[in-house]
Amino acid sequence: MLSTVLVANRGEIACRIIRACSEAGLTSIAIYAENDAGSLFTELATVAVPLKGDSIGETYLNQQQILAIAAQYSVDAIHPGFGFLSERADFAQAVIDAGINWIGPSPHAIEMMGDKMTARMTMKAAGVPVIPGEEIESDDETGMISAIVEASERVGYPLLLKASSGGGGKGMRKVEDPAYLEESIRGARREAIAAFGDGRVYVERLLTGSKHVEMQILADTHGRTIHLGERECSVQRRHQKVFEESPCPVMTDGLRARMGEAAVMAAQAVDYVGAGTVEFLLASNGEFFFLEMNTRIQVEHPVTEMVTGVDLVREQLRIAAGEPMSCGDLMMRGHSIEVRLYAEDATNNFLPAIGPLAVFRAPTGPGIRLDTGVREGDMVTPNYDPMLAKLIVWAPSRVEALERMRRALDEFVVLGTTTNIRFLRELCDNKDVISGRTDTTLIDRVWPDGWQPNYPESSFDTALMVAGISESAGLHRTQVLEVESNNGPTSPFQTLNRRYP
Amino acid sequence: MLHEFKVNGELVEVTVARDGQDWLLGDYKAQILADGRLSVQSLDGRAKIAHSAKVGDTWWVHIDGHIFCIEKVEAGSTDGESDGGMTAPMPGKILEVKVSNGQSVAAGELLLVMEAMKMEHRIVAPSDGVITTVNFSTGDQVQQGDILVEMEE
Repeated sequence: MLSTVLVANRGEIACRIIRACSEAGLTSIAIYAENDAGSLFTELATVAVPLKGDSIGETYLNQQQILAIAAQYSVDAIHPGFGFLSERADFAQAVIDAGINWIGPSPHAIEMMGDKMTARMTMKAAGVPVIPGEEIESDDETGMISAIVEASERVGYPLLLKASSGGGGKGMRKVEDPAYLEESIRGARREAIAAFGDGRVYVERLLTGSKHVEMQILADTHGRTIHLGERECSVQRRHQKVFEESPCPVMTDGLRARMGEAAVMAAQAVDYVGAGTVEFLLASNGEFFFLEMNTRIQVEHPVTEMVTGVDLVREQLRIAAGEPMSCGDLMMRGHSIEVRLYAEDATNNFLPAIGPLAVFRAPTGPGIRLDTGVREGDMVTPNYDPMLAKLIVWAPSRVEALERMRRALDEFVVLGTTTNIRFLRELCDNKDVISGRTDTTLIDRVWPDGWQPNYPESSFDTALMVAGISESAGLHRTQVLEVESNNGPTSPFQTLNRRYP
Repeated sequence: MLHEFKVNGELVEVTVARDGQDWLLGDYKAQILADGRLSVQSLDGRAKIAHSAKVGDTWWVHIDGHIFCIEKVEAGSTDGESDGGMTAPMPGKILEVKVSNGQSVAAGELLLVMEAMKMEHRIVAPSDGVITTVNFSTGDQVQQGDILVEMEE
């Protein structure tokens, strides 16, 4: 049995976990950096404890400080969410050594899967198919460059350079022309060192035109390892997913069984416990290759929850408490789609944007779920990831799910900060998205010269009139504050008089 | 009332008239709702709901699922078009400077690399030209809007 859970994360996923704790009758402890004071997740938690320090390293990545808070509040489990410390084996070990339950797999499993080169080798040994490519032993720049240049001859172009400690598209480079190989290796290595403190880079063949399909795994400590079907997350920009769905539009029962079996084998190969995701590339001929395993809850987990009826975070809590998972045999019903709302400029290479959320009105109605960590009046700062929310819909069929998503995105009003809402809305009208012929190159293929919004002249004219009326009537009642770009302290009083039209 | 706005770099003049609770522009009629949203009717009588919010000098307007950023130009403003500089899109750190003063560059050529929000961003020349000033060097912290490099076409 668990009674008190510390959530070592922030924003949207902290809210998701804290809500699951509330529903399970557990006390939740949130931790927050000073620049997150007043955030939604700090309000939802039973207790919110401020972290000392300014940088991420001094706060959300500060193991000693987090463990000290855990001891002070006698927590019996720590949920790491995703990102931050979620895939840090040393932290998982430190939590276990402190006599606290780690809500996730063993440090050994995290290590085996977290280092992508090791994961590749482990999967090859377990008989799971991997992408053609080569691990690179050398980790000094000169040695690495010559080893990769040599390997590139065997792997062939186009190829993909990947950081062994990588994730979220960081330290990853696509190379189509050998002339750019060395420059790309240096860039990938530099980004990997900055993001992960580990510059090791390896090389894989870039399988263009394939789908990104991943299997959700659950394993408990009573010997049961199951898969909960697939998610397709092919539509990506800058190697980050923006549109995810379950089921995958081209999935068949036979293929699902084979991929599910491979995913369960991958999990069992590292004695996996808890929720995890095994990512595959699915080629158009039905061949699939292991990409990586994410040893944590995934951003896009809600689409699986919508079609299977399984509350994955609740199951994580059960499994960490040593109970058997509560779900029965796999049952998938209807279709679910998630889009990720980012504060970013889709017309300018998806550059992150900052600003106030002067208006933030989310859609409501049947089949709609919003997972977010922000609300109207909050500031989007450059301090953290620019993802604002996940909008998830469920409907009996894929066609209806897309219709519902279009309606929901039209209703979604965010003013004051540039977001990708309109881009996502137009994505839902793309013929390949409609037909399910999505692959990882879709965005670059459909908008090779970048995206620009399409709008009718009448909407533009009306908007001008609205601006004229708003200005005449003085609808801007209060001054909107400038975004604080540093990590410095935010006065709690700044939030008191924020009123927006 | 006449207002001057700037949208997508173009100046537009908008005149709205008021008649009791109604605001009028050509064939369109609108009312401000109690919560600050607007109801706009065109000739066919169909009402649409619009949201607006002003941030700095810019009105953000949501209508029909579209968002428009409409900048209010204050009378007598001398905001010229002297935009020959490449500005930092967000706060961050300069990783690499690829050009120096007096150097000729071609449109699309890499000028410098900066890091912000854990990602690398490449600042490229918007057109052919000659670099006149490089304001930062490797390792410098920059704020949003800082002019990184200036050039002449």
